Amino acid sequence: MANLLITLTIGGVTSTADTDSLPIAIDDRDTADSNEIDRPWIVLVWNDPINLMSYVTFVFQKLFGYSLEKATELMLDVHNKGRAVVSSGPRERAEFDVYRLHEHGLWATMQKDSTPS
Amino acid sequence: MTRRERGPIRVGREGTYLLCIEREDRRSLLRLLGELRDTLLDDSELNDISNDKLRRLFPTAYHDDPERDDEYQRLMKGELLASRLDSLSWASAALERTPDDDTIILTAHELDVFTRSINSLRLVLGTMLDVQENDNPDIASDLADDDPARLHHHLYSYLGWLLEWAVTAQTDTLPAN
Repeated sequence: MANLLITLTIGGVTSTADTDSLPIAIDDRDTADSNEIDRPWIVLVWNDPINLMSYVTFVFQKLFGYSLEKATELMLDVHNKGRAVVSSGPRERAEFDVYRLHEHGLWATMQKDSTPS
Repeated sequence: MTRRERGPIRVGREGTYLLCIEREDRRSLLRLLGELRDTLLDDSELNDISNDKLRRLFPTAYHDDPERDDEYQRLMKGELLASRLDSLSWASAALERTPDDDTIILTAHELDVFTRSINSLRLVLGTMLDVQENDNPDIASDLADDDPARLHHHLYSYLGWLLEWAVTAQTDTLPAN
């Protein structure tokens, strides 16, 4: 019997959600900071104990066209840091990416980029 | 379930892949895929928010914004469900073929949906077994022969083995490689 088993699973989720979520009032351009309005959405993939590391790497390559090196780096961020940003852009694009990641069984979410510009 | 040293999934000719698993294992997989399909088609299972086993198949999209997530789920959950059912249907159709030598020739699309379906099964089973990061990978061996969880852990392990080979075969044929 081959032995390529679940020793390759990704670790458990311990990270908590960011607290930098923007208020609903973000659409109010009279009061919102223009830099915030321009901020893109980011797509995060979260750590989970079931998906195989090799599978996660493969999905990043397949969906985003990343090289093996880049996909592996992102997968290791997911594994070691609890999450990784795998794509960014307009809201519609982020929702599309989240949907495709969900189709492949990955735990993906999206939020406004809170990185200071 | 039997595991071959050579691997159950290999790259074939002209963009195809070879799936080599024994008839009995194909029947078992077909039964599991059918059970998952029936579960997904059962509204009481699908819409029961306390039903944990399907949680990983329909994750939240906006983890910090329940209002937006409700809107997203309203618009996309049906589409995601249809996609999963479509994948299960294609994967089952491929497994229902009856080759002479236990080798089924798969198109790239068929291996893609087979892979996603196996992963879906694994997500459901892993959630039901409450698999954690530091679990002993050989946990089934530590369980009593008559412990029902032993079979489930064996199955979870087998699905991981199949998935690993599916990923290897497809990674070998990605454009960047």
